[in-house]
Amino acid sequence: MSKPSAARCLHLKIVMPSNPLYLPVVRGAISPLAAAMGWGESDCRAITLALDEALANVIRHAYHNRADGLIELECHESADGLEITLLDKGDAPDKSKICARALACDEPGGRGTHIIKDVMDTVSYQATPAGNRFVATKRLRKAT
Amino acid sequence: MKITIRDAGEAKVVEVEGDVDLGTSPDLRRALFESLLNSPKLAVNLAAIRYIDSSGIATLIEVLKDSQLRNKEFVLFALSPAVQQVFRLTHVIRIFQVFQTEEEALGSV
Repeated sequence: MSKPSAARCLHLKIVMPSNPLYLPVVRGAISPLAAAMGWGESDCRAITLALDEALANVIRHAYHNRADGLIELECHESADGLEITLLDKGDAPDKSKICARALACDEPGGRGTHIIKDVMDTVSYQATPAGNRFVATKRLRKAT
Repeated sequence: MKITIRDAGEAKVVEVEGDVDLGTSPDLRRALFESLLNSPKLAVNLAAIRYIDSSGIATLIEVLKDSQLRNKEFVLFALSPAVQQVFRLTHVIRIFQVFQTEEEALGSV
């Protein structure tokens, strides 16, 4: 994403345990951030949901519901939108299972990655020496 | 999250308030399955849900499937804007019987 101006370059960093108890804390931070950047109520809810789903996936699949893992969350405001990065040191994601189940099916699970893909403009999952890295961006479309 | 359960004739009405997420959806699951065991019909009021994620949606689908196996009714009513948005994103609105009001939900037998 392009470089932000000096007047607008918010960088939020949260390091949280892989414990669902902390999910409301992150939701409470990301929604007002998205609102401050210019998104409306519905988009703010959607961005919050996408981030929450990404964090839930790390807790469930990388750390297998263990609460003692660490997740680093960074939100960067750029000139044209928001970039969200998650870093964890749990098991690497199985890419064959990402959006593997069709949304049209009636099974209970498998909808989280679809939500992330639908809400965000770009999504990537990488295994790096520092850990599993999830990056998602959303462009702020200015009203014309 | 706060869950309140009350009788409405033969049915049970479950009021859910607050956030349904990875941390709280197991409590919702437990409450809904227990209520379903003791009643032929369960109507869930989703008006006061501030937030629901895919684990909450998965819980509702699990209970719906169980209700069908037991030949019982499981209906939803008064979806909050947050719930409506997640239902749209996850394409699940067609799976459930959804009503505007409690009266409509309970009258659907």
